[in-house]
Order: sequence, then structure tokens, then C-alpha cells
Amino acid sequence: MYGWRGRIGLLVPSINTTMETEFWRIAPEGVSVHSARIAGGRHGTPEELRGMENASKQAAQEVAMVEPDVVVYGCTSGSFFEGPAWNRKISEQLTAITKAPTVTTAGAMAACLATGGHKKVDIVTPYVDVTNERLRHFLKAHGIEVVKLGTFDMLDMFDHAKIEPGEIYRKVKEITSPKAEAVFVACTQLRALEVVDMLERDLGKPVYSAVQASAWQAYEAMNIDPKIADCGSLLRKLSEPGAQKKAVKKLRSA
Amino acid sequence: MSRIGLLVPSSNTTVEPEFYRALPPGVTLHVARLFLTQISTDAILGIVQDLETQSRGLASADVDVIVLGATAPSFLKGLGYDRELIARIEAATGKRATTTSTALVAALRHVGASRIVLGAAYDDRVNAIAQAFLEANGIEVLAARGLGMVDNLAVGRLGSDSAYELARKIDRPDAEAIVLACTNWKTMDAIERLERELGKPVISTTQASLWAALRIIGRIEGVAGYGRLLRDLTAPSRQTQVA
Repeated sequence: MYGWRGRIGLLVPSINTTMETEFWRIAPEGVSVHSARIAGGRHGTPEELRGMENASKQAAQEVAMVEPDVVVYGCTSGSFFEGPAWNRKISEQLTAITKAPTVTTAGAMAACLATGGHKKVDIVTPYVDVTNERLRHFLKAHGIEVVKLGTFDMLDMFDHAKIEPGEIYRKVKEITSPKAEAVFVACTQLRALEVVDMLERDLGKPVYSAVQASAWQAYEAMNIDPKIADCGSLLRKLSEPGAQKKAVKKLRSA
Repeated sequence: MSRIGLLVPSSNTTVEPEFYRALPPGVTLHVARLFLTQISTDAILGIVQDLETQSRGLASADVDVIVLGATAPSFLKGLGYDRELIARIEAATGKRATTTSTALVAALRHVGASRIVLGAAYDDRVNAIAQAFLEANGIEVLAARGLGMVDNLAVGRLGSDSAYELARKIDRPDAEAIVLACTNWKTMDAIERLERELGKPVISTTQASLWAALRIIGRIEGVAGYGRLLRDLTAPSRQTQVA
């Protein structure tokens, strides 16, 4: 069976065109990605983002049938919008349906910033004000202060993918402040994976993206070192000696 | 950049990786799933209940074409059923659509094969329906053999050697092409070797589905490694193309 080393069940908002592509681009030998779409519209209104919690259950049932080793709920705002408890609820619901550990993008964001020991970060998002405020609150609840926040300010989530990686690069460089210990680029529809590595090299501090952080937690959950050298320090951590030190989980049958 | 939208049976673990591996540069793949656990006739009929909803999900990612990447679900009700499904997808989304069965018939016409042998993962019942569908579309099936599989997840566990071996077994001199049917069956790795050894086109349902999608979005470069159908994407048809 494809995915004999690990199968990732990937739930993406139906309008998303970036995350499946980026997950496949970095998947190593023996790892496969199986997607399902979370029904919804293209505008990131509060109603839409709240609705994803319920719609994700249907997508999880669809992807459960490939017996995934990890399930990824691939939307940042759709997992932080109603706060940490809501994010945990999503995670628990999807695990109950799929019988696999769940990674949410918001959870991965908090985890990667905590692992890096960062307390003050700069954030780049494509979001409108109300969503940016919710993101500040979510991070604050995890003990992280947002120093500067740069936004492309677009309600249309499909259009987030039209922002070129070069524009993301320039936005990060333009807004980042010396006080911030790291930068996080939110939104799995932003094509940030292509520029995180060069941003880290050019800024001299960690730069994370939503897709990258989700992938990091997914590979960690599967105990797999994907040997990804060019997508930032976070994914290279998976290749450090002792990175896969946790008790090896039993994989689903191949 | 072009985008292919692929409707995958929920328990299919093969067609998504095999499409990804063969995608030419500048084309991305976006997937939605339709419920399917068993490849029995009842289960296969049920799969299309969700067709409009899942197609709309792909259309919201503004894909250029929607492919129903499932063989049995698109031939189950015989001649013209695949066209009905295409019409439903197109009406729901305004996007161009095709199905695996449509692509299979078009690919056979494209390579000029009207007499074929059929190898499939299915049991005899589903295989007989496959045979009837091809014959209703003017393709003579000289021999048909299935692996007798009903559990779809188990089909995904078969190695690509099972496709190679079955093709070698069923081939005969008067067959103009070999058809390998079922998108959850690993066929893509067997095609090139079989064509080299047997000297005739090998058409797999996964390969034909990708070929049809690339032709609809107007890709002109070929894809190497998966048989002559994908390699010679620009080659003129041996017969008038219907799709």
C-alpha cells in the first residue's frame, strides 16, 4: 500500500489550493498524503470559520477510510478562532472519528513557538482585523506576545493563494522588529514554505509557516525523519540526533 | 498554473499518489473524497450520492477540470452512465468534467484499439459489467479476468507486480491493447515494462484518467515513464476522438 511508512490524512478547507501541494512536495519515500475537503465558502467571516469545526467531522469520516497514521486539520484561523479549548475540541473530535492522532495548525503553531522557547514574536497573516485580534488572543493564552503584526488584509480565502512567495518574503522583512525572537506566517493557503528557509538565513532568526508547523507535528507524531533540508530549521529539527526519541508508535497496517 | 480536481473513493489509497507522481510541472492536484468501502454493486451505486457536493468543493478551489477518478462507479449502469455523471458534475459546478470510464474508452480509441483483453482487481460480477460497458462502447473484449477483490482497502495493498503478472497472463496475439482496470490498483509502475515486453499499448484506468484531464486542460508536453499514452500527449488520435 502507498504510505507504507506513514499515511497522512489531510483535511483542507475546500477553497485551499496550497497545502496539498506543499505537503506532497516534502513527502519522502513511503509517505503518502490523502486529502479530504472541509466544506465551506471562500470568505473568512466568523460564521465561516466557526462552521469549519462541524464540517471537518464529515471530512474526517471520509479520510478515516485510508486508516491514516496522523490526521491534520489544515487551517490556522479555523483552529484558533474560538480559542485554545475550541482547538482542543476539534482535535479530540477528529481523533475519535479517525482513530489517529490529530494535528491542528493552530496547535502546531503554539507548539513550535513553545519548542523554540519564544515569548515575543512577529506575525504575518492574510487576515482581516477581527481574525488578527483572535490570533493575538490565542497566542496570549499560550504565553506568547505578538510584537508586530503585518497583514495582507484579505477576506477572500481563495485569493490568499494568489499572494506570491516573494510578496510574503518582503512583508516579513518589512514588518519584523529586533524585539521579536521569531516570525510566524499564518494561514495554510499562503505559499510561505518556499521562502521560510531564505527568510531565516536573511533575518538570522527562526521563521515558521502554518504548513511547515503542521508538517513538523505530523512527522513527529509518526516518528518519521523526512530529511527536509530546505524548508527551514523547524523541519530540520526532525533530522537531529535523538529527534525521534519518543516511544515508537505502532503504525496502522500497510 | 493549472489545477486538476480529482474525486477519489474514500478508501482509495492509490490514485492520489499515482497522480501526484506523474503530474507534469505547472499542474497541481486537489482531491475530494466520495464514500466507498466495498466494490460491490450496491456500495458503488451509493458513491455518487455525494457527487454534486464534493464536486462543488473542488470547484471552490477553482480547478480547471474535475475527474471522477473511479472506474466501477462510472460504468456501473452501462452505456451512457458516465456521460450522465459528467453532466451532473458540470451542471453543479460549471467546470469541465470527465470520468475514468469515459477516459478509458477515449484512450482506447486514441491508440486505435478495438479488440482488447481486460485485467481488473474486481470480482466476476463487477468485471462482467466492465466488459459489457466496453462492448457497448464498441470495444471487443477478447478475454477478461479479475482478481476477485471486493474489499477496496485490500486492493490498495496489492503490489504492482499483481498488475504485471495478470497482464502477462491474459495477453494474446490478437489483442490490440491491454486494459488494467481499477484506480485503487497499482498499475502505473507496470505499464512501461509491459509495453516494452509485449509490444502493444497498455492502458490503465489511472493513466487514462490523468491523460484525459491533461488533454482537457490543454497540456501539450508528454509525461515519461507511464506508457505511450502519456508520453505522446500531442500525438494525433488513431481514430476520431469522442471525448
